[in-house]
Amino acid sequence: MTGSGPAGPPGPLPAAPPLASDESWHRLHPLSPLVRAGRQMMSLLVVLIGIAVLNQHQDGNLVADVVVIVIALVGGFVSWLVTRWQIAGGVLRIDTGLLRRESRRFPLSQIQAVDVVQTGLARLLGLAELQLRIAGADSAGGGRLACLRLAEAEQLRRQLLALTAVPAGGLAVPPTRAEAVQDPAEPTAVRKLFRVRASRLPVAILLTRSGATVLVVAVATWLTAQFTGSAGVVAPFLPVAFGVAATLWRRFNGEYGTTVVAAQDGIRLRSGLIQRTAETIRPGRIQAVCLVEPMIWRPLGWCRLEVDVAGARQRREDRAEGQRLRALIPVGSRAEADLVLAALLSNPPLPSQPAPARARWKAPLSYHFLSWNGDDRYAVAARGRVCRETTWVPLEKVQSVRWVQGPLQRRLGLATVHLDVAGKRVSAKIEDRDSAEALRILAALPDLARAARSRAG
Amino acid sequence: MIDPGGPPSLGRAESGPGEPEVSWLRPSPLLLRARRIEVAAVTVPAAIIGGVAGQFVSAAVGIAIAAGVVLAGLVGERFLARRVASWGYAERHDDLMVRRGVLIRRLSVIPYGRMQFIDVTAGPLERALGLATLRMHTAAAASDARIPGLESGAAAALRDQLAALGEAQAAGL
Repeated sequence: MTGSGPAGPPGPLPAAPPLASDESWHRLHPLSPLVRAGRQMMSLLVVLIGIAVLNQHQDGNLVADVVVIVIALVGGFVSWLVTRWQIAGGVLRIDTGLLRRESRRFPLSQIQAVDVVQTGLARLLGLAELQLRIAGADSAGGGRLACLRLAEAEQLRRQLLALTAVPAGGLAVPPTRAEAVQDPAEPTAVRKLFRVRASRLPVAILLTRSGATVLVVAVATWLTAQFTGSAGVVAPFLPVAFGVAATLWRRFNGEYGTTVVAAQDGIRLRSGLIQRTAETIRPGRIQAVCLVEPMIWRPLGWCRLEVDVAGARQRREDRAEGQRLRALIPVGSRAEADLVLAALLSNPPLPSQPAPARARWKAPLSYHFLSWNGDDRYAVAARGRVCRETTWVPLEKVQSVRWVQGPLQRRLGLATVHLDVAGKRVSAKIEDRDSAEALRILAALPDLARAARSRAG
Repeated sequence: MIDPGGPPSLGRAESGPGEPEVSWLRPSPLLLRARRIEVAAVTVPAAIIGGVAGQFVSAAVGIAIAAGVVLAGLVGERFLARRVASWGYAERHDDLMVRRGVLIRRLSVIPYGRMQFIDVTAGPLERALGLATLRMHTAAAASDARIPGLESGAAAALRDQLAALGEAQAAGL
């Protein structure tokens, strides 16, 4: 996307800007500093109340805390005062900063996805944060509008998606502006695809690696406490256990109530217990789809369906969270996964071509699942034993093709072909194929990918 | 033990439908000299420091350490020659192919339209020998395609040529 140059989108500007893209400047909601400072504010409040309750006579600390809160609020208010945004000429512009003025422009054609995020406090106040996902930008690089009124944010999301509409094939540049003129406020026909079962999710999360760790640590500490008779010995483990438990909680909080709906403008995804997130993923923006079946889940027939969209999700508090892919299905049956998969990709091939039997010498555990398949639109590769992963990649998204052969593979006459897609997280690995077949794949894929690209464009 | 074999070649496999024979271009022979100087620049001081440190135990130990380090450097040099010889690149009609590696052999195919940006870098040693490294970046972090040891003029020319091809075939994400 950066190939279009630093000068922004060179294409024609939208002829008829629909609705509120009236090029006027807007402000964020006045309560947004409160929400943005919410997290720190909460912890401060807890400390404050704790101090007030514990030692009422000693009010020196109290004054200091009040001063800190007031300073934070004034700072937030000033930042709100100097922040404004506008949509003009196919560009979302956000100006902010009092001493260090900052003006950021986001060409709408480069927006990969638009998320509406509501933290707990924002939900109480009926506000929401709008996050733009830009390819190549890390969590700090994407644009965010925090906060707007929820209805306003939803409307703006629809508008942005309409403005950034991509042609059906799904190529990013240049968006044909003619298609963008459709009325974004028009209620679109929706079809519900999936809703996670509230009873299944906690079990599934506990059956993952970190969940199992927590269980083991909990049982071990309990046993230790029982045998030694003193609770003090478990103290060293508590910070670790607390950290892992917090991770699990975040995951539960994020994935609770995940609902996937197929709408006209793409796949809509809503989730969250306290912090709510609403995303819209356009089919043309999907870089890869990943079906994960951990070993413990397999007997239960459960799986996880993840989707990779260019541009990192914005989660300031947890970097590891941003590395993980967005789960369309945090846990679900294969039938549910197939349903969602069919909505994401049209007639995806199944990994039906297994690796040659001699691959077991190189990959004794996972050779059983190694397989791939491909047609002129998608390639799919399956790998992994403990955690079976099946990755679909639309060929028009393939950035480069790599052929790799290690020393052991060379002796066995095997080779691996990687299909790289944008970002750091995913690449489909067609592992341990017969050398001749790998070369055949390598020879054929660039041409197929080019054909798919030109078809999409 | 490990047969380095020939470089992976599509032509040899007789696989692609009507795939024309790929003609590989190689980095400058000066690359080997640059790599040798790099190895020597590490080995010689290491041997001297190790040897001097060994003198505090006994003269024999010092000499043994120095000899060992020099020997390791010489063995490394043998592998170096093969590693340098394994580099190759080929410009095809729609994409660039880069191959490298002896123990782990790699062959990357990067469509011109997928190149996001290209940079040419040259360290002090490379500059002294008139060499440069060309690096191609796509939107995928894993793509990792570089060609070391190009003569600076050739590197600049290749960069411009690739940039022009990339612009002509540019595709969105």
